[in-house]
Amino acid sequence: MKRLARSRTLAVGAVLTLVSTIGLAGCSSDSGSGGGSGGEGGTSTLRWAFSLPTSWDPVTSSTGNDINTLSLVYASLTQLDEQGTAGPGLAESWEYNADGTEVTFTLRPNLKFSDGTALDAEAVRTSLLRGKTQDNSLLKDQLSTIKDVQAPDATTVVVQLQAPDYQVPLLLAGKTGAIVSPKAIEENVSGLPTAPVGAGPFKFESFIPESQAIMVANPEYWDAADISIDRLELTVAPDPATIVTAVQSGAIDVATLQPRLIDQAKSAGLGVDISPTLTVNQVDVNSTLPGVDDPTVVEALKYAVDRQQLVDVITAGQGKVTYQPFPPDYIAYDPELDDRFAYDPEKARALLAEAGHGPDDPLDLTITAAAYNQQQAELVQAQLQVVGVNSTIKIVPPGSSTWQQEVYLGRNAQFALDGTVGRESPVQNLTVVYGAQGLMNTSKVATPEFLAALDKVRQTPLDDPNYQTVLHEAVALGVEQNPSFSTFNTPRVTVRSEKVSELPPFISQYRWEGVTVQP
Amino acid sequence: MIRAVWQLRLGRICIVVLTLIALLGILGPMLAPYGPNDQDVAVMLQGPSAAHWLGTDDLGRDVLSRLLAGSTLSLVAALEAVGIGLVLGVLPGLLSMVFGRIFEWVSLRVMDALITLPFMVFAVAMTALLGNGLHQAMFAVGLLVAPAFYRITRAAAMTVIGSSFVEAARLTGLSELAVIRRHVWPKVAPAIAVTTASMLGTGLVVVSSLTFLGIGIVPPEPTWGGMMATDLNFLYQKPWGPLVPAALIIITVAALSGLADALRDATGQSGRSLISARRAKQARAKAARNAGGPVAPAGRPDDRSTVDA
Repeated sequence: MKRLARSRTLAVGAVLTLVSTIGLAGCSSDSGSGGGSGGEGGTSTLRWAFSLPTSWDPVTSSTGNDINTLSLVYASLTQLDEQGTAGPGLAESWEYNADGTEVTFTLRPNLKFSDGTALDAEAVRTSLLRGKTQDNSLLKDQLSTIKDVQAPDATTVVVQLQAPDYQVPLLLAGKTGAIVSPKAIEENVSGLPTAPVGAGPFKFESFIPESQAIMVANPEYWDAADISIDRLELTVAPDPATIVTAVQSGAIDVATLQPRLIDQAKSAGLGVDISPTLTVNQVDVNSTLPGVDDPTVVEALKYAVDRQQLVDVITAGQGKVTYQPFPPDYIAYDPELDDRFAYDPEKARALLAEAGHGPDDPLDLTITAAAYNQQQAELVQAQLQVVGVNSTIKIVPPGSSTWQQEVYLGRNAQFALDGTVGRESPVQNLTVVYGAQGLMNTSKVATPEFLAALDKVRQTPLDDPNYQTVLHEAVALGVEQNPSFSTFNTPRVTVRSEKVSELPPFISQYRWEGVTVQP
Repeated sequence: MIRAVWQLRLGRICIVVLTLIALLGILGPMLAPYGPNDQDVAVMLQGPSAAHWLGTDDLGRDVLSRLLAGSTLSLVAALEAVGIGLVLGVLPGLLSMVFGRIFEWVSLRVMDALITLPFMVFAVAMTALLGNGLHQAMFAVGLLVAPAFYRITRAAAMTVIGSSFVEAARLTGLSELAVIRRHVWPKVAPAIAVTTASMLGTGLVVVSSLTFLGIGIVPPEPTWGGMMATDLNFLYQKPWGPLVPAALIIITVAALSGLADALRDATGQSGRSLISARRAKQARAKAARNAGGPVAPAGRPDDRSTVDA
């Protein structure tokens, strides 16, 4: 009996241990979307697993990635087409004055916000000026080009500029030009981060922070005829490893997929859309910090990273190597920069030796990476080891603003594995990445030469034959002079259930026009 | 005590298993065919082969080499946590019996407060406060296992401290510390040994959980929990990947639980009965063989006639 009891004790112990270990596995994934609540709001419901914005107010949103979700509830003055060219949005047309210091937008007639308020020129004026003046606005820098906004009549918006700037129609195609209801601003501006009111394809129904937002189609949207989704449930994406299963089970309908899981999704019979994006991975080097304050060391680091290996491993070969903050085939992409800082460990070693870092005195570095980027961090660490750089990986824990606090605001990272999702205007993107106050320019340095080149781009009309040449000059200066450097472009890989039609390949963001969902 | 445990089959199995795992931990880095962090992306996520017995991970690192290196880190971390718990629990537990009511009251309240704290949350908070390192996390875990040692020690000591032979020892002029060392400690030690084995298992699960969540480790440091977490991301390519570190965790924790059981049996009344009965049976069997007759039936394990004094 005793032996039996002992055996039973051991068996129970083993089972408990197994259960607890399996419990560890359970820790890896979020609870998932939970299956949703069906299509109570209409005949077709789309469950999209993505990320919730840092704020539902475009003025206080703190990352470029938020445009994907903010554009669900807000419409912008202009709108980018699939290739990234500005086209009509709330404004059906626009025209510059002779010297490029004033642009007049003509709004579509009879526009309304989802709360029923009229969307007229005065509403546009109120919204743009709020972004320019509100104390906690994060759009101030981008709107600094605007001197004033006039509303001479209901459908005419005159934007007066500080200096000639032909980028404004592009600039106002994203969250910078997202128009907020003046009624919501007046009545409860502090509530906008959780209760947005715009004139986008959908209107807010409910929101649970860090969990989900429920929206229904907005009949007042100017392009409502192209929206075939009655109800959209936006949830936080589950663990990447479980996404295919989540779509397969119907818990979610659409989600971003890691490229290495494409085969799994296809073999499960799910739809996979691969489309180009403006997303470019980058290493933010803060040259004001010891260790990387020597330009020779920084140059060595640029040669030490094997970008092709990153593409092969991280994107399963789906990405493209780039040495500039733009993807190939985009207007700002300068082919002349191909292979600039191409992987050259010998040269990196020589430059490090020149900077005084030989085998006896190796460079010590901290690689800062977000938790989801650990694989890339370990790859880069091994690449740096090849050229004699000793590095330690610091993982920034997940959270809606932990990365911003550590890298952008705290500026504590010597060498941060970052990335830009791109911006509607190439100048805006260059400003974010290389500008003196650019969010991703953690060194906060920019030469007068680069700033002058940016001004020259702003002053060149988009249809000017020299526009691309001028733009490429600014890109080249940024790439050459800034301590930070680009590594690779990633495509947007989306998995969708069979009931969802193919997603349109907009380069700048997810859009839902033309997408159908079978009930 | 070890000899007594060895008398039990469960004890022998657990000791052998734990010795093998300890050897893995000690000799692992020397036995590993590759460096635990050596990458070869040309062979990433491959199955077992002659070159890589347990396959490779997402960066082409040899899984066997990482498991061996991870054994050291995981086991040392569990030992560190339990070591801290032992010091912070056993010492105050014994001293609370001799240092008067104020010390007793304060130490009881501190332990009560520590019991209320959840392992994981407290460990996460400590690493946030002191920095993300295994030592910081293990200090937190050690702090939280201390109450178990404190209470076990105190309970065991209380049964002895008021007995007549302790009183007699005091009357002979022995100091309190000498009384504890000579008369109390030998009675308390078995209970502490059982708790230690049990807590090592708990510690290993907590360590694995924390490292699974990325707490307490600096990549690419290998740990069993950390390897499981990485492998779970590549279930499609390598569905069996997490099973290897999971199996090691399961086997180690089960062996530690079994050892705790064996220690309890070997040092407790019923265990001593079992061992005595077994010895008696062996003696009868030997006698029967010598006499050429049948083996006499064994007495019940809990037969009081065979109980040691």
